[in-house]
Amino acid sequence: MEKILALTSNQIMFIIFSAVIVMFSILTVTTRRILRAATYLLFVLVSTSGIYFMLQYQFLAAVQLTLYAGGIVVLIIFSILLTSHINQKFEAVSWKTIAFGTIASILGIVVCITSILQFQFKASTLAIQEINMKIIGRSLLNYGENGFVLPFEVISILLLAAMIAAIIIAKKVKDTKI
Amino acid sequence: MPFNIYDFTSFTQWIDKSLYDSCTPFWAMIWEMSIIGVVFLAFYAVVGLYLVYAERKICGFIQCRVGPNRVGPYGFFQTIADLIKLLMKELIYIKNADKVLFNIAPFIVIITSFLAIAAIPFAKGLHAIDFDIGVFYLMAVSSMGVIGLLLAGWSSNNKYSLIGAMRSGAQIVSYELSVGLSLVTIVVLAGTMQLSQIVELQRDGWFIFKGHIPAFIAFIIFITAGIAETNRGPFDLAEAESELTAGYHTEYSGIKFAFFFLAEYMNMFIIASIAATVFWGGWMPLHFPGLENFNHFMDFIPPFIWYIGKTAVIIFIMMWFKWTFPRLRIDQLLNLEWKYLLPINLFNVLLMAFIVLKGWELF
Amino acid sequence: MKFEDFLLMRHELLLTITAMLILMAEIFIDNKNKNAIIRGLSIALFSIVTIIGFLPAPTGALFGGMYVTSGMHVLMKNVLNIGFLIVCIQSVKWLKSDNNNDRNFEYLMLLTSTLIGMNFMISSGDFLMFYLGLELATIPIAALAAFERFSQKSAEAGVKLILSSALSSGILLYGISMIYGTTGSIYFIDIAKTFGTAPLQILAFIFFAAGMAFKISVVPFHLWTADVYEGAPVNITSYLSVISKGAAVFIFMIVLFTVFRQIVNMWQDVIYILSVLTMTIGNLFAIRQQNLKRFLAFSSIAQAGFLLLGVISGTQLGMTAVIYFALIYIFSNLAAFGVIAAISNTTGKENIKDYDGLYATNPKLSLIMTLALFSLAGIPPVAGFFGKFFLFTAAAQQGFYMLVLIAVINAVISLYYYLLVVKAMFINKSDSPIAYFKSDFSTRLSLIVCVLGLFVIGFASIIFEYIRSMSFGLLF
Repeated sequence: MEKILALTSNQIMFIIFSAVIVMFSILTVTTRRILRAATYLLFVLVSTSGIYFMLQYQFLAAVQLTLYAGGIVVLIIFSILLTSHINQKFEAVSWKTIAFGTIASILGIVVCITSILQFQFKASTLAIQEINMKIIGRSLLNYGENGFVLPFEVISILLLAAMIAAIIIAKKVKDTKI
Repeated sequence: MPFNIYDFTSFTQWIDKSLYDSCTPFWAMIWEMSIIGVVFLAFYAVVGLYLVYAERKICGFIQCRVGPNRVGPYGFFQTIADLIKLLMKELIYIKNADKVLFNIAPFIVIITSFLAIAAIPFAKGLHAIDFDIGVFYLMAVSSMGVIGLLLAGWSSNNKYSLIGAMRSGAQIVSYELSVGLSLVTIVVLAGTMQLSQIVELQRDGWFIFKGHIPAFIAFIIFITAGIAETNRGPFDLAEAESELTAGYHTEYSGIKFAFFFLAEYMNMFIIASIAATVFWGGWMPLHFPGLENFNHFMDFIPPFIWYIGKTAVIIFIMMWFKWTFPRLRIDQLLNLEWKYLLPINLFNVLLMAFIVLKGWELF
Repeated sequence: MKFEDFLLMRHELLLTITAMLILMAEIFIDNKNKNAIIRGLSIALFSIVTIIGFLPAPTGALFGGMYVTSGMHVLMKNVLNIGFLIVCIQSVKWLKSDNNNDRNFEYLMLLTSTLIGMNFMISSGDFLMFYLGLELATIPIAALAAFERFSQKSAEAGVKLILSSALSSGILLYGISMIYGTTGSIYFIDIAKTFGTAPLQILAFIFFAAGMAFKISVVPFHLWTADVYEGAPVNITSYLSVISKGAAVFIFMIVLFTVFRQIVNMWQDVIYILSVLTMTIGNLFAIRQQNLKRFLAFSSIAQAGFLLLGVISGTQLGMTAVIYFALIYIFSNLAAFGVIAAISNTTGKENIKDYDGLYATNPKLSLIMTLALFSLAGIPPVAGFFGKFFLFTAAAQQGFYMLVLIAVINAVISLYYYLLVVKAMFINKSDSPIAYFKSDFSTRLSLIVCVLGLFVIGFASIIFEYIRSMSFGLLF
């Protein structure tokens, strides 16, 4: 109890958020119902945005909510369209797959965590500056160093291409001969 | 206790200070969070109940009926009695429903509306969180409620629910664009997304007067799209009683049904508050530059009254809408958004940017 | 930033304008011959873009270092442009068919946008632009791979491509995020200064390399390749195997030479293993294939292994050899695919067995196919020999004798299976060979260009010298 009280509230919040993220990430990949997976993924993403709120980076947090919550809406709609019955489940995976998957992920976790812990991260020497919307907006349209106008424009080409790509796949076959 | 009805800043600071003086920072924060939570819960209950009462009265008035009139004077306690009845009801569990999602869905809906209301300024200093990105935050949070509706509709294992949920999915995903863009129009005018600053900037005139034509168009679009986002008539396809029984919450009963019901009314309240804050100045009294005496007179009315009054007017407009217009068909609904509102809106943002660039705003 | 500075980006800008013009043509032309006009217009525009690409241009960096261009970048883009133009000309026949006649604009527009993405990727000066370019070069391709309307295999190819590229992008981004976390910058120049050999950074590099290996389809990340190549329309397969792969190898090489130059010993080991695996497994699997598209898929995996030989050297000669080989590879592979496309579009046959006795009925096509396969195998008179020769020299110069030995053995193995196809065409007899047919103008044009390229590039040493003058080695 003493130890818990010694933690700052921020640390406690962080622990809660990360526990939620870890737990629901695991649930997302282990559940056999597609809609539950989507919902658990939603919790993961919302908790991630909670961490951003904790870091006082509200813009990124709100972006995370808008984009990913919107993404989850689409995911859920498609899952509903693809699921034929409410009790439909994915096939159970064989125990071999589970065993090898577990071993592989544990190995991956061990490698990543040990190497991250070994790295001597340097604390940033930059002064803490308030990231307000004006700065973000300006740097999005800035063409100098640390400006993002070029990626911003390239993304628009990417979205246009993706839209046409989606249309071409979804387009009905037109019977032109009649 | 420095209580001032015109400015709550010192009052909230006093609470904060006395909490931090009396216990450790950790517990002070916990206390603060609990107080805010309890206050919002109480607020929710009261506002929700009396919105339902208001709706029934207004509906009765428009349909030349009396409305609730038995419980208490003018039926004033009718909705409280209804609430008690709802709480007493059995929670029905459906065979073959996806139980986890079925139980989570109402909470998702209610939590998202809670998240939204936290950012709304009720009066000067009476503001739970004042984000730098307030408007964007509201847009982000309000887009999440639809997930609850979709899950509710799907997990009930009922075709009416599913149809209702899919309709509301299509509806909210499309009307969200209009809500966002019409708010962006005002953000262009204001130059900030912080709600407290947006209110402060309207000291010398509300944005709907300042931004004249584009602001007015944006207001109309916002109200229309806002009504659609809350799934209210004439856009209530998601729960169209005559076709779908009750849409996505057909299978819910008792307190879970109450959650959906409450969330619907609270969402209406939130949309009305945003409209009041962004277009009509929130708690800011009606001011016109030059009319010093008039302005001074208006300042005597407390900000909280202004805020409630404006919100009430907008809520009345929304209810008036509901009981006046017939329900749209789904294709009409989507046409309205994609073929009319969205292009107008995009053009409107440009127009507003042009006006701000030229300095043509009023006052 | 001055207005003239945009001249630096002329490849990307011209291609973007081209894409927009095609879009406008689709919207505003209302005519019976609309599709023919769109095809003609786009090929004319692409030719102009290709030619303008060769004009001398200023070099430098734009957008605060996000966009970098130099003689070498321009050269790489020109190489890709040539290949792109040939692919477009080759697809005309296929686009004219009834199934695709109403979808010409989408095809051309998507193809152009992938090329824009590749150009931005090659010119990127930071990881953000690099990643965006990479996505722009992959996502539309998935739709193109699923372009055949009534083919399940085509749909499968599209899904496989998008899923595998999503997975590889995820791995790549994880690596990039670690790089950003350890160095605090996304700009190549800044990262190169501080990137060290801490375990986390090496892990980051391995993730990055794995992600890129997916895109280049290097063994053991090649599993998607054969299915996608088989299912996709022939022209898209050739585009994937030549242009996409070439662009990915180019940028991989640039990043290795600039960003990761501090850990050169580290990445040389990684590339060594990948290269050996890729050459060997690609070759061994190619022997067993019956479908020509699958066959060329595995052969292209093996060729990617050879390309890594030039990358591993880390010298100016290595970079020269890679670009040179890629240029030759474009011509030889496109010639082979051009023949396959001509036959497949006319008869629908794609198996090696179907080619029995092709020489008797279609001598010209058989000769072109033979030349292309000789070039791929690296037999002296054709350009492919010189390409492989320089790659081996580049690796040998840096003391990778063992690797060169393995590569030579693999070249011999590859000779075996390339000759299998040649044998089928010239020696095998068949009761029902593919009947004689006359190919249309566009197919012939593209094949003639390819064959000319095969000889000219091999013998005109000026091209090699030109590429060499633009290349650079590891910057120490």
